Order: sequence, then structure tokens, then C-alpha cells
Amino acid sequence: MTIDATMVGRSYTAAGSYQVGREKIREFADAIGDGNPAYRGDDAIAPPTFGFVIGSRALEELLNDEELGLRLDRIVHGAQKFSYTRPIKAGDEIAATATITTVRKAGAVEVIMYETALTTVDGEPIATSTSTLSHNRADA
Amino acid sequence: MIEVGTELPPLTITFKRDDLVRYAGASGDFNPIHWNDRMAAALGLPGVIAHGMLTMASAVRVVTDWIEDPADLVEYGVRFTKPVVVPDDDKGASVTFSAKVDKVADGLAEIDITAVAGEEKVLGRARAVVRVR
Repeated sequence: MTIDATMVGRSYTAAGSYQVGREKIREFADAIGDGNPAYRGDDAIAPPTFGFVIGSRALEELLNDEELGLRLDRIVHGAQKFSYTRPIKAGDEIAATATITTVRKAGAVEVIMYETALTTVDGEPIATSTSTLSHNRADA
Repeated sequence: MIEVGTELPPLTITFKRDDLVRYAGASGDFNPIHWNDRMAAALGLPGVIAHGMLTMASAVRVVTDWIEDPADLVEYGVRFTKPVVVPDDDKGASVTFSAKVDKVADGLAEIDITAVAGEEKVLGRARAVVRVR
């Protein structure tokens, strides 16, 4: 199967919610070399790009949709944007849903944009992540 | 006081292989192009490359180190224009991040970020929007 514009609007929700722990935030901040005190302690907020880690669980579901026929090893991350209603905090329990917003084809390359809504399990918005992927189907 | 044209203190970060392994573990992105030369070469890359999301995380530090509270960030976006190739040696790859305030209006400041490795810009249209207090 192959992806096309009729697949715009398809939505994929990460299985289960993601519980944000302060030690995970610290581990992530350490991994990006960021010593900012805001990312440490009981009241820690997460660094701005941490939302991608949570959203990637919804992306996994999208990649598992066999009708799209996408392969991770043919994908390049082209662009990434976050809009924050508020920072992700230690103690948050977050639901992630990814929705395909654009599909463009240029030869064997498919450009796919998807938007991932990060909300509390009660549906309060936290952040929106917009991602652009290039998928190369050459020789696939 | 945040004014148009203000240049933020730049930051140079060196990425080594162990940094990529650490980021892979913390983020859950174990794509082998970020740690395995053989797999990177098989996909036609010039070598193992840094995670784009690691470069993106590093770039915004120029802004979050400068504002008082990183919670004041309301928007942040980048384009990944060139891969950052990280050699398997003790020197790694250095990227210099700089930023400049482009616009201040309605309680928000828009900041343009530049990321340069060697002579090349590795991010395009990198922009952060922060609340001005």
C-alpha cells in the first residue's frame, strides 16, 4: 500500500497515557546537556523538546498503519515545531494523538505532515507538535 | 527589557558519539544511523549523524538560558537542513548556536536562532517565541 492525500485526517492515539516522572525529566535534560534548574526537582518542568518523546508513541501507531506502507529506515525528519499551552510537568499524565494533516508527493518522495496533540487525560491541552517527514519510496 | 536586534549570548556545543548514545537512551530513538557507521553508510549518509531532535534541543538552550523561566516559551520550530556528522573520535562535532530578537509585539518576542557546524547552517527557519514579562 502507499500513502496518498485521501489519508489526511487519519488519527492515531498512543496506547495508554504517559506518566511524566521527575527522574525521566532529569535524565532527558542530562542527555541534552542542559543543566537548567527548572528541569530538576519535584516541581520540574520538561525541556521544550521533551514532548516529541511522548508524541513518538502516537507516531509509532501511525507507522504501524500498514495501509500507509511507511518504513522507518526510509524516513527523514524534515521539520519540527511545538506550540505550548503550558510546559509539561513532573506528575502529568499525558495522552498523545497524531493526525495526518498533509500528504504531498514528489516522485518517489512523499512529504507527510502530522500534528500531535498532547493533552492531559482529561483533555486539557498542553502542547501541539507539528512534524514534517520525508519518506523515500525509491526501490521500495 | 527585550528589544529588537538584541543578540543573545551564543553557545557552542560539541557532540560526541557517547552523547548520541545517551540521547538515544533518554529519548527512545534507537535509529542505528545515530550510532552505527555500517547502517549510516548503507543509507548513503556521510557517517553517523546526530539526532535532529538533539540539535533542536541544544539550539533552544540559547533562548532558555537567556530568559528567566523556560516556561515562557510559547512556540519553537526548526527545519533540519543539513545533518550533523559525528565522527568516532575524541573531538566530535561542534555546533555554534546564536540568536537575535527579530520582533517584539503584543507581549511576545520572536527570536531567530542560527546553528552552524563548520561553515554550514544545520538548521533553517529556527525560531522561538517567548512571553515578555
